[in-house]
Amino acid sequence: MVSLLRNQKVRNALLQVLYVGSIAAMVLAGIVIARRNLADQGITSGFDFLFKSTGWDVNFSLLPATANDPYWWYFLIGIINTLFLGSVGLILATIVGTIVGLARTSSNDLARLLGRTYVDIFRNIPLILQVFFWYAIITHLPTPRSAHEAWGFLLTSRGLYIPFPNVGSAAFAAATVAVIAAIVLPAWLGRTSLLAQPIGQRRTIQFAAAAAALACATIILALGRLPDTPLLDFPALQGLNLRGGLRIPPEFATLAIAIAIYGGSYIAEIVRGGFKSVGTGQVEAALSLGLSPWRVFTLVRLPLALRAMLPILANQYVWLMKATTMGIAVGFTDFFMIVALTINHSGQTLEAIGILMAGFLAINLSLAAVFNRINKAIALKGNQLRG
Amino acid sequence: MISTNSTGEPALRIENLDKYYGTFQALRGINLSVQRGEKIVVCGPSGSGKSTMIRCINRLEQHNGGRIAVLGTELNDDVGNIDEIRREVGMVFQHFNLFPHMTVLENCMISPMIVRKQPRAQAEATARHYLEKVRIPEQAMKYPSQLSGGQQQRVAIARALCMQPQIMLFDEPTSALDPEMVSEVLDVMVTLASEGMTMICVTHEMGFARRVADRVLFMDGGEILEEAPPDEFFTSSRNERTRQFVSQVLGH
Repeated sequence: MVSLLRNQKVRNALLQVLYVGSIAAMVLAGIVIARRNLADQGITSGFDFLFKSTGWDVNFSLLPATANDPYWWYFLIGIINTLFLGSVGLILATIVGTIVGLARTSSNDLARLLGRTYVDIFRNIPLILQVFFWYAIITHLPTPRSAHEAWGFLLTSRGLYIPFPNVGSAAFAAATVAVIAAIVLPAWLGRTSLLAQPIGQRRTIQFAAAAAALACATIILALGRLPDTPLLDFPALQGLNLRGGLRIPPEFATLAIAIAIYGGSYIAEIVRGGFKSVGTGQVEAALSLGLSPWRVFTLVRLPLALRAMLPILANQYVWLMKATTMGIAVGFTDFFMIVALTINHSGQTLEAIGILMAGFLAINLSLAAVFNRINKAIALKGNQLRG
Repeated sequence: MISTNSTGEPALRIENLDKYYGTFQALRGINLSVQRGEKIVVCGPSGSGKSTMIRCINRLEQHNGGRIAVLGTELNDDVGNIDEIRREVGMVFQHFNLFPHMTVLENCMISPMIVRKQPRAQAEATARHYLEKVRIPEQAMKYPSQLSGGQQQRVAIARALCMQPQIMLFDEPTSALDPEMVSEVLDVMVTLASEGMTMICVTHEMGFARRVADRVLFMDGGEILEEAPPDEFFTSSRNERTRQFVSQVLGH
């Protein structure tokens, strides 16, 4: 018996059992205690509440929503709102970050100074302060009566109004997909057939693909157009309010701007680091082969910088996705705010928080998984030696 | 591929070349004329300006004074001229500088396809031809980091040759290699020289200089101190500094 305890493998196994056993005991105890406390307060635990109607409204939803809808539908709305705000925020932050990051690596002194100032300011102010700052600015814009107007766009304290095609929502969604395809398809074709065709032919194929996708989008919009309306619906003052066009609510605009500006300052540093990591040797070699500076950028600097940036960028994206929970600060019904409201109204705290955590885990793990796949696909082969 | 304004013009003409890094003068009044098919070896202590000089020839460094004409084309701020010269001048670097995200074959094909607008088939045929010539045709589908240093440098030479340049610049091509790999790279360079390529090599491989150089240049302090055929350079140099340098590199 004693000799058995001296066996390394047996010891390890015993420790393992002890470890798993104590965690299981803790979890079990937690559940039992929670159930008893909830029962004492007269709250029934479980997920039945998901099918009860909520009795309250959401102020922003991409799906139809009424107070009669059940909780599960509201959770879905919340997840979609978070994903929508997150994607808009991430795309804008990436654009801002790329521009600022490139400015920081530029040979132009002024561009570098501007880039640096930007990063120093926006990276060092807490996100929640920036959210309040933008919200204050947006809600202090003029009333609809005296709105700032330019090219049919209206800036008001009730949100940003933009001209919008008069089409059904299904047609609009389909057209959006087609437009995204017009962007993604040429890039994808460029990758798969890189060097497979002479450069001129490759271009033609890419242009054809983009043109076809855009044509599809136009046709979808034309077919989906609401009868007897102009193609574009311009926002216009009617009484005290604005009618027509698409309204981007101040809450959404605030969060998208805040995430774009704040996230942009971090992404700028990632972009700068990525480009700094590209060896000058590769750039010189490309120049000495007669490639133009633009070609050197697209064929050598960008692909190498992207590889260096991607893992850190994925991390940043996951972070920014979580930053959408700032919605609760200005009253945007993102996933987190829906869960918070659910807890207030239904009292199902543990279940709702469990759903919240599971939802964010699912969103961010999928994001991370996608990036890992991309990362693996483009990783440099073998041990890298940079001269 | 043959330049139109060829016949009388030397491959390279450098006159009174000055180059400053801030206030430091890296090149002082360099004069050099290289005929077509000539092989020049440039040597000298580190910091003497040899690399700076050959990097000026394809505008990796901008000169501050004097003039450079490559194959009859003046090298100045004119972007068209710079492009034209870079198309005709190949360069091999100390650290190979291959593109790590492309296969060996892609490394060799990218520039002919984009700069010379060659169709893929032709570019691939050219690439395979030159990979054969540097004796690594079997590595075409590998990535640079999967090759040894000597192999990488031979790919770099093939990549430059794929542009079918008229002049080749070598910037210490064997300095970063393990000793046993030096000869495989030098062999390729010797073959290239025997085929009549115009070559300017910064190197301390004195055996190579003896075998292929038409002229050996000795640089120090940003100036060309000596310029002589190899025999004369190694045995009966007039310059004290050169003799000292030669005895140091040949001394062991």
